[in-house]
Amino acid sequence: AVNKAEEPQNPPQLGHLAIIKPLVYLTLRLSLPDALIRLPSGSRLCTRRSSGAAAPGSGATIFALSSGQGRCGIAVIRTSGPSSGHALQILTAARDLPPARHASLRLLSDPRSGEPLDRALVLWFPGPRSFTGEDCVEFHVHGGPAVVSGVLQALGSVPGLRPAEAGEFTRRAFANGKLNLTEVEGLADLIHAETEAQRRQALRQLDGELGHLCRGWAETLTKALAHVEAYIDFGEDDNLEEGVLEQADIEVRALEVALGAHLRDARRGQRLRSGAHVVVTGPPNAGKSSLVNLLSRKPVSIVSPEPGTTRDVLETPVDLAGFPVLLSDTAGLREGVGPVEQEGVRRARESCNFLATVVASVGAQSPSDSSQRLLLVLNKSDLLSPEGPGPRPDLPPHLLLSCLTGEGLDGLLEALRKELAAVCGDPSTGSPLLTRARHQHHLQGCLDALSHYKPSKDLALAAEALRVARGHLTRLTGGGGTEEILDIIFRDFCVGK
Amino acid sequence: MFYLRGCGRWVAASFTKQQFPLVRLSSDSAAPRTPHFDVIVIGGGHAGTEAATAAARCGSRTLLLTHRVDTIGQMSCNPSFGGIGKGHLMREVDALDGLCSRICDQSGVHYKVLNRRKGPAVWGLRAQIDRKLYKQNMQKEILNTPLLTVQEGAVEDLILTEPEPEHTGKCRVSGVVLVDGSTVYAESVILTTGTFLRGMIVIGLEMHPAGRLGDQPSIGLAQTLEKLGFVVGRLKTGTPPRIAKDSINFSILNKQTPDNPSVPFSFTNETVWIKPEDQLPCYLTYTNPRVDEIVLNNLHLNSHVKETTRGPRYCPSIESKVLRFPNRLHQVWLEPEGMDSDLIYPQGLSMTLPTELQEKMITCIRGLEKAKVIQPDGVLLLLPRMECNGTISPHHNLSLPYGVQYDYLDPRQITPSLETHLVQRLFFAGQINGTTGYEEAAAQGVIAGINASLRVSRKPPFVVSRTEGYIGVLIDDLTTLGTSEPYRMFTSRVEFRLSLRPDNADIRLTLRGYKDAGCVSQQRYERACWMKSSLEEGISVLKSIEFSSSKWKNLIPEVSISTSRSLPVRALDVLKYEEVDMDSLAKAVPEPLKKYTKCRELAERLKIEATYESVLFHQLQEIKGVQQDEALQLPKDIDYLTIRDVSLSHEVREKLHFSRPQTIGAASRIPGVTPAAIINLLRFVKTTQQRQAAMNESPKTDQCLRNADRLQERQL
Repeated sequence: AVNKAEEPQNPPQLGHLAIIKPLVYLTLRLSLPDALIRLPSGSRLCTRRSSGAAAPGSGATIFALSSGQGRCGIAVIRTSGPSSGHALQILTAARDLPPARHASLRLLSDPRSGEPLDRALVLWFPGPRSFTGEDCVEFHVHGGPAVVSGVLQALGSVPGLRPAEAGEFTRRAFANGKLNLTEVEGLADLIHAETEAQRRQALRQLDGELGHLCRGWAETLTKALAHVEAYIDFGEDDNLEEGVLEQADIEVRALEVALGAHLRDARRGQRLRSGAHVVVTGPPNAGKSSLVNLLSRKPVSIVSPEPGTTRDVLETPVDLAGFPVLLSDTAGLREGVGPVEQEGVRRARESCNFLATVVASVGAQSPSDSSQRLLLVLNKSDLLSPEGPGPRPDLPPHLLLSCLTGEGLDGLLEALRKELAAVCGDPSTGSPLLTRARHQHHLQGCLDALSHYKPSKDLALAAEALRVARGHLTRLTGGGGTEEILDIIFRDFCVGK
Repeated sequence: MFYLRGCGRWVAASFTKQQFPLVRLSSDSAAPRTPHFDVIVIGGGHAGTEAATAAARCGSRTLLLTHRVDTIGQMSCNPSFGGIGKGHLMREVDALDGLCSRICDQSGVHYKVLNRRKGPAVWGLRAQIDRKLYKQNMQKEILNTPLLTVQEGAVEDLILTEPEPEHTGKCRVSGVVLVDGSTVYAESVILTTGTFLRGMIVIGLEMHPAGRLGDQPSIGLAQTLEKLGFVVGRLKTGTPPRIAKDSINFSILNKQTPDNPSVPFSFTNETVWIKPEDQLPCYLTYTNPRVDEIVLNNLHLNSHVKETTRGPRYCPSIESKVLRFPNRLHQVWLEPEGMDSDLIYPQGLSMTLPTELQEKMITCIRGLEKAKVIQPDGVLLLLPRMECNGTISPHHNLSLPYGVQYDYLDPRQITPSLETHLVQRLFFAGQINGTTGYEEAAAQGVIAGINASLRVSRKPPFVVSRTEGYIGVLIDDLTTLGTSEPYRMFTSRVEFRLSLRPDNADIRLTLRGYKDAGCVSQQRYERACWMKSSLEEGISVLKSIEFSSSKWKNLIPEVSISTSRSLPVRALDVLKYEEVDMDSLAKAVPEPLKKYTKCRELAERLKIEATYESVLFHQLQEIKGVQQDEALQLPKDIDYLTIRDVSLSHEVREKLHFSRPQTIGAASRIPGVTPAAIINLLRFVKTTQQRQAAMNESPKTDQCLRNADRLQERQL
């Protein structure tokens, strides 16, 4: 009974869409807030590791989702290492550890914000009587991506913890004399799940924008390092061109700025709650608030037939098809009359800077900007007379919906699910949510290492900083051997006996 | 000089130490017996000499077989030792009591540490060496090594017998057959024949088989190796022409003077044999567009550069420099060949142009306008012996420039102890494994000599990990990855470069060399122990001294200590500042620091330790991880192609089959071996061990435990 009063008497001024007057744009903004969470400074110490070789530092405490990657009722997140107990205390805000090897129900909350994450079963396995032989904790949480990613992020923020490398749990178990049980059925599957799936998942995530960025950064860094290495190995006996170090220095500083900006953007995202951001925009009285209410199944916005009823941006965290989503309702896109409404419109524009993008993307029919996915939804389909003309044929791809009757809602939800899956990863094939903690960890590690690069001092030390930085990036992109460095050296410089 | 050729074929080693049982081979012994040694080393180049003396130091009765005793210690290519990366190798060879560093300290004519301003981790000890002196000193050393016998002779074939059942391998080597048909038996055999396998000398379009006239030693041996199934590759290298010293106008060239004071290569020397002011300078000149023109106009006369034989990615010859980096000026270093040598070695001018064009090209270079290229005499052209540096030994003043093409054996066919997978107790070292350079050869020689000896006494092999030394990186790269170009050491190849420095090679290797290999003298061992404990003590004292930064400012006004924190600052942190050294620190805090400045080496090493302290702490964590993987040994007899208990892809199986990694660590460095494959291998290793432990007292588990113990020991 919320939007019964909607009347077509105030047609919006978007001429080419005039057949169906009310119009709602849905904008899915690709924001990956959890990729972007800054680890507290204390945790960086443990991230500082040396160059390329993938040697699992046994001192660190590792964590990973260890249950299957799809949507499931219960997900198991596991930690292993000396800080496991500490992490458990921090997440459960408890002074004492639960009794060993007993399931206990605990409220998990984010140690930074105090925000509750889930009510979960936790198990504390002090070493050596554990899967890996080290101190281990298992968190049995509710299996939605929002909860899982929330707990992973929370663990990533605990000093001394880092995301596990592929196969690291199993390797630790072997190293500590556990897991000699070949007779256990399915161990091979388990190993496969832990290694190959993680690897593939990490690679899949690298197809996107972030992967593109990472590869570009890794290339720049590899080249800069190769030039510094050339200067060390050949600078005295062979004539390298002038300015090799200066050029490398410029590139490293530029990279530092780019990484810094990326991580700062990420931190801005952190203020929003975790999840993809769905912004509903459109002309006044298109039924945006009705749609938000429909999707969130509770009245969030005041709905009235008067255009301009919503004067502010309302944000509602909802679970759409299993994805954590922040749903925003914006004031209508018209020049408001009252100052309150004007402010609302301004804030709507500011909050997502959507206006230009929306129009451009829709006009081009292919949202080339991968960070903003658009769904064109035409509301009030109930007003179309069955025998009358349909929507104009030159309209971009769109969905018909009636918030009043609920007709088209299933189609919209399915379309949303697809869009969200594209943004967040499809839970049925493995969600990049789980690897974002890794990205965050290694990008921050890279940036920290770059800050130690001081070419004026001991050049071996400076090169070491670049090696460490490159080690972090190549954990994300793959590659990273010394042969790549030598290839660049011999390509760019005339060196030899 | 020792002229030994006239003294009969057998040259027994030092008779001064009669407590060593010397093998009597001379004709005065009654019935002629077939001689029997513990270790035979074939080849008297840089790998061979180190291998032979290392085996002898380990207590093995050793025979060095060489074509000619008077070419032992021949520097067949450049008249210099060391450099960046290569100097690191020399320090490690010295730490294992090898020869080349000590000989260089007695034979250099220009000592200079490269990379002085780039940090002590990458300092490159280097020297121009007097060829004649080096050879003399080396021969003196070789011929005075207890337990070492030197014999002239060319090896025709290997004597092969049934394999030992407890080891892998098709067969076992038990001696050699010489060209004259005589045989010598031995428990282990080391092959250090350099480029001698099917070597071809290339000058312009001419190609000549290398090897001494009349001798065809390589044929039988090469055929035997091939028949055994060794995979062979082909490489090429080259050397520049020499120039008459008095024909060069040095006055218009940049002069480079040696360091003052000279830094010795060996840990046992405080200084070198010659004062800096008596040393010889080097000079620098550049190529010009005329040089490019001559190269480009005459490519058709130059078969070496046209050949498809794989050369290195780097530029070994002036031809490749001009072709790949045209329109540039390339450096040419003019290096002395010795104190009283009339020759200059133009570093950077390796070429294979026909002789008349060489002179044409050289005379258009600044300072060399009137240069006289020393031509080889006609007979020697066909006589040169292949040396292990991939060049031909220019005995006397042979100075021809040439290219060399030669066979090498794919080093993935040897283990990290340099023993071949195929033939038990057969070891390869030096250029035969695809490396280039004296230092690379020497490093392998020491390791092969030690392991050949350990094999005889049935002790576990002595393997240097890549976390322990450049030697480890060199051998691990070769044995796990192979090489398709002459492998040369660079510091960029070394992951733990800040830990594996020239200054601390003794701490890394001398102690182990003494305990695990027995190749280190008591004196050297004690010195290294003293240094280690002094360093540890010094570092802990430096950590214990703490003052506020303002107090430090008063004590050492010339240093600007950052005062961002009010926390006390340790002396060790103050020592990190570039402008502070142990002397200034000891002046500020005489008690208890003064005593650490009495030994200059100790004071310098404390400074270096302080410089890298914080990074080393992190590097140590990673080193531990790598060492853990390296302590996990893979069964040697595993047949990767057929084994069913391990789930591995076909691709991974083939890779493992060819490289035969000995540890999980080595396996994980083979490109294409996935994390899942590693985990599956791990599982296999663990279950195999468990099964064996259940069956008997499990030698394998024991060995792993021993490895684990050793690991902890090594973590100092």
